[in-house]
Amino acid sequence: MSYDKLQALNVEVLSVSTDSVHSHKIWNETELSKMVGNDIPFPMVSDQGGTIGRLYDVYNEEAGVNVRGRFLIDPEGIIQAVEVLSPPVGRNPEELLRQIKAYQHHQKTGEVMPSGWTEGGTTLKPSPALTGKVWKEWNPHKH
Amino acid sequence: MLVTKKAPDFTGMAFHQGKYKKVSLEDYRGKWVVLCFYPGDFTFV
Repeated sequence: MSYDKLQALNVEVLSVSTDSVHSHKIWNETELSKMVGNDIPFPMVSDQGGTIGRLYDVYNEEAGVNVRGRFLIDPEGIIQAVEVLSPPVGRNPEELLRQIKAYQHHQKTGEVMPSGWTEGGTTLKPSPALTGKVWKEWNPHKH
Repeated sequence: MLVTKKAPDFTGMAFHQGKYKKVSLEDYRGKWVVLCFYPGDFTFV
């Protein structure tokens, strides 16, 4: 399950919707726990009125709900990545995990991850020597 | 635009492990956090 993979990367999860905490409780009891086999392991935050959604610019005033906004926040409290989807399409947890691994690798090493990078793939060390020479280190057709 | 900016702090009530409790983003400083908004409980996606 994706949550275990997130925990392994020391990532905490908070979900937010405009529903009440009572609704969260019943949804967890009647549906989600049956889907995942146990209780939802992270806090499900209630954002009635869309106060939090407005702060993150994901609140749809006409519909009165938050759209699918996902914010990756680093240990300093800085937003490193954002994905916002309109309601009909769900997210891809694998892409989230890829981004977390990339940002964590960057914060540890200072290296940068080129387009299409996945775990174990070629990384680049930014330096004057590399400028104009990225083609020697990385080829989009090979990586 | 929010990316590269400080995440806006908030406090709200949450359902977590059978209890209702107050959650503040500030309490998560020092940890990576994924904050996920979605339209509503009992929807399909």
